[in-house]
Amino acid sequence: MSSPVTRPLRFLRRTLGPLVEPAVFDFWSRELGSTASRSRIQARVVAKRAESARAVTLELQPNRRFEGFLPGQHVNITVEIDGRRVTRSYSLTGVPREDDRLSLTVQQVEGGLVSGHLYTDCRVGDVVELGAAFGEMTLPEILPFKLLLLAAGSGVTPLMSLVRELAQRGMPVDTTLVYWARHRADLCFVPELKALAAREPKFNLRFALTGDAVTGTDELRGRPSRELLADVAPDLSERAVYACGPAGFVAEVELLARTQARSFQSEAFTPPVFAPVESQSEVTLMLAKSNRVVRVASGQPLLAALEAQGIKPPSGCRMGICNTCACGKRDGLTRNLKNGGENAEPESNLRICISSAQSDLTLDL
Amino acid sequence: MNTPDRKLSPAEIESFGAELDALRARIVADLGEKDAKYIKNIVRTVRYTEVAGRGLLYAGMFPPAFVLGSVLLGFSKIVENMELGHNVMHAQYDWMNDPELNGQTYEWDTSCTSDNWRKTHNYEHHTYTNVMGKDHDIGYGVLRLYPEQKWEPRFLANPVMALILMTFFQHLLALQSLELERIVGAKSKEQRKTELARVKKDIKPIWKKMRKQLFKDYVFFPALAGPFFPIVFAGNVAANLMRNLWSSAVIYCGHFTEDAEVFPIESLENETRGHWYLRQMRGSSNFTGTKLMHIMSGNLSHQIEHHLFPDIPGRRYAEMSVEVRRICEKYGQHYNSAPMAKQFLGVWKRIFRGALPNKPTRFKAAPAANVERAEELVAA
Ligand SMILES: Cc1cc2nc3c(=O)[nH]c(=O)nc-3n(C[C@H](O)[C@H](O)[C@H](O)COP(=O)(O)OP(=O)(O)OC[C@H]3O[C@@H](n4cnc5c(N)ncnc54)[C@H](O)[C@@H]3O)c2cc1C
Repeated sequence: MSSPVTRPLRFLRRTLGPLVEPAVFDFWSRELGSTASRSRIQARVVAKRAESARAVTLELQPNRRFEGFLPGQHVNITVEIDGRRVTRSYSLTGVPREDDRLSLTVQQVEGGLVSGHLYTDCRVGDVVELGAAFGEMTLPEILPFKLLLLAAGSGVTPLMSLVRELAQRGMPVDTTLVYWARHRADLCFVPELKALAAREPKFNLRFALTGDAVTGTDELRGRPSRELLADVAPDLSERAVYACGPAGFVAEVELLARTQARSFQSEAFTPPVFAPVESQSEVTLMLAKSNRVVRVASGQPLLAALEAQGIKPPSGCRMGICNTCACGKRDGLTRNLKNGGENAEPESNLRICISSAQSDLTLDL
Repeated sequence: MNTPDRKLSPAEIESFGAELDALRARIVADLGEKDAKYIKNIVRTVRYTEVAGRGLLYAGMFPPAFVLGSVLLGFSKIVENMELGHNVMHAQYDWMNDPELNGQTYEWDTSCTSDNWRKTHNYEHHTYTNVMGKDHDIGYGVLRLYPEQKWEPRFLANPVMALILMTFFQHLLALQSLELERIVGAKSKEQRKTELARVKKDIKPIWKKMRKQLFKDYVFFPALAGPFFPIVFAGNVAANLMRNLWSSAVIYCGHFTEDAEVFPIESLENETRGHWYLRQMRGSSNFTGTKLMHIMSGNLSHQIEHHLFPDIPGRRYAEMSVEVRRICEKYGQHYNSAPMAKQFLGVWKRIFRGALPNKPTRFKAAPAANVERAEELVAA
């Protein structure tokens, strides 16, 4: 349908659009200090504050490419460290706002690349790249059951977002949050949570410490156990449970609560560990674009291994120079056969002719 | 001709390759912020000089503005094509994970489509460097540069052809993958017909990119100048000509110099990594010059290092060249390097010599061995 008005406009966009490449547009936008982009979600860090002895909260102002989120969801954030762009997931801790501003809370991980960067080096004014929000641990419109939120460490972040949403909705159901940390000083959002608990009779708050002695009435001691759960939620069978934390914690509380609770939803934060397989064993390759799964021997050049399975990805020199065979790697551990280096990070251009799988992999093929 | 290369034993060839591998590993491990900053500054240089150049052309009725505008625009195109586009497309900056500097998706500011370039240049030319019958860059199908190439009457036009190629480099490079000479050389009517059909199909994406480039430089930007269309048009012609002459000169100097060698197709049989390095070295030549010349050549002034390590950022070649030269000396291999003017003169000697027939020449002894490529890497 082209009206007399849209036709010339469309003509202009068709003829002029290609003259300003997205990369050129984005370049000048950056030079002018803007985060505007033709296709990418860029966000500026507009505030940074300490949230605990080991965590900082960052507030981000994304550009118009960000399409919103639901409380409880996460985003991938990409930062540049020593010239390389690295991506990790972080949960959004706030509720959606009129001005689209986002907040996330990052806990420093010992020797952590991205958490260390965000905690120490990242400054107000820096620009980071975001992905679209993802995650299923969200609240339904209607809340048929009471809630039990179980958080451990930095796993509190998406649950904090849910608590804030509940507060905004006037705490429609009885909600209990149990929040584990080793030390009191590691706890995040304490003043806000305490104030909410004081204000909202339907919101119960317990901090569970594994490393410090208990002092306050809202504190508990010890790791998750049947007794502890019975104490904080004797009515567990009437509650929907949301749990978030390291993989070990999530597995533990799932075992304790899943069968009794009304429902059980969880998210684990610990990054997958790509256990290197023994030499000469088999690994599974997920070919994401063609939706295929193949088993190949580890340690073999991926290109040759795929070809042996009758799959013919584009290729050229077969010696790692022409880049024809390069494809995206979403996850998994690979080894560069030319220099022996191993890489567990996702990559946009893995040269499969000189790389071997050292664990199961997902490839953009 | 310089002192001939020392003949190496298989063990020597292997350790020659191992030393180059070690050099490569050392530089790869050191890539980081400095390299990222450098390439981003190159992007900045390209963008700012383009805007300044195009801007000045609009004041082009004032002769100094016309000259400066054309030169800046030409400079911008040169740096974009050489240090930015060519190098990024070699995946030199893929380790940065920056989608704007991605070797597989970057599209450069010239007629040749990046996809064709990645095939003819990254794959064919870099894998089969100077192998007769495999590397189309040996004369691009229109020039006769080596006595090993068969003489045909059409090569009498060698010098004229070389000049035409330089002048219209961007468009002729774009057409390179079509291998148009195959139509001329067709032996039968049938064959000519198949060749024509092939060209007709393959030319579509090329023509699309060419059209876009021609429209941008010769219609769109001049039209913005209204009555001064011819001035801006002329400025764009001058800038493109400057880029064409310079980049073709740089490329001629990389493989067509006096001491560069070509290899028979048999040399590829069972070629080891060490042999491959050796062939890259013997087929390439460096030229010396100022820092600006290195940047404007996309560091192809270090053609040898580029051919040994095509995916390592060009800015590293200068420091690597010290080590490569040392390794060459150690193994008694000639390191082909001379001032640009001298290398260019050598190229023209070849161009004139190639115009006339000569006695059949035999290839110099070519490297060969007996291990397979990717499979050999595993064993390493
Ligand atoms: C969906 C999702 C949401 C997340 N949300 C948050 C969030 O809101 N806040 C937050 O701080 N983190 C969150 N994370 C964890 C975050 O993505 C990173 O894994 C974490 O910041 C560590 O990254 P790094 O680059 O600093 O560490 P790396 O350099 O990747 O790892 C360094 C070392 O630390 C170990 N390590 C990595 N992550 C953890 C961890 N979480 N706990 C213990 N050891 C670890 C690694 O095994 C490695 O040995 C989330 C993860 C997921 C999957």
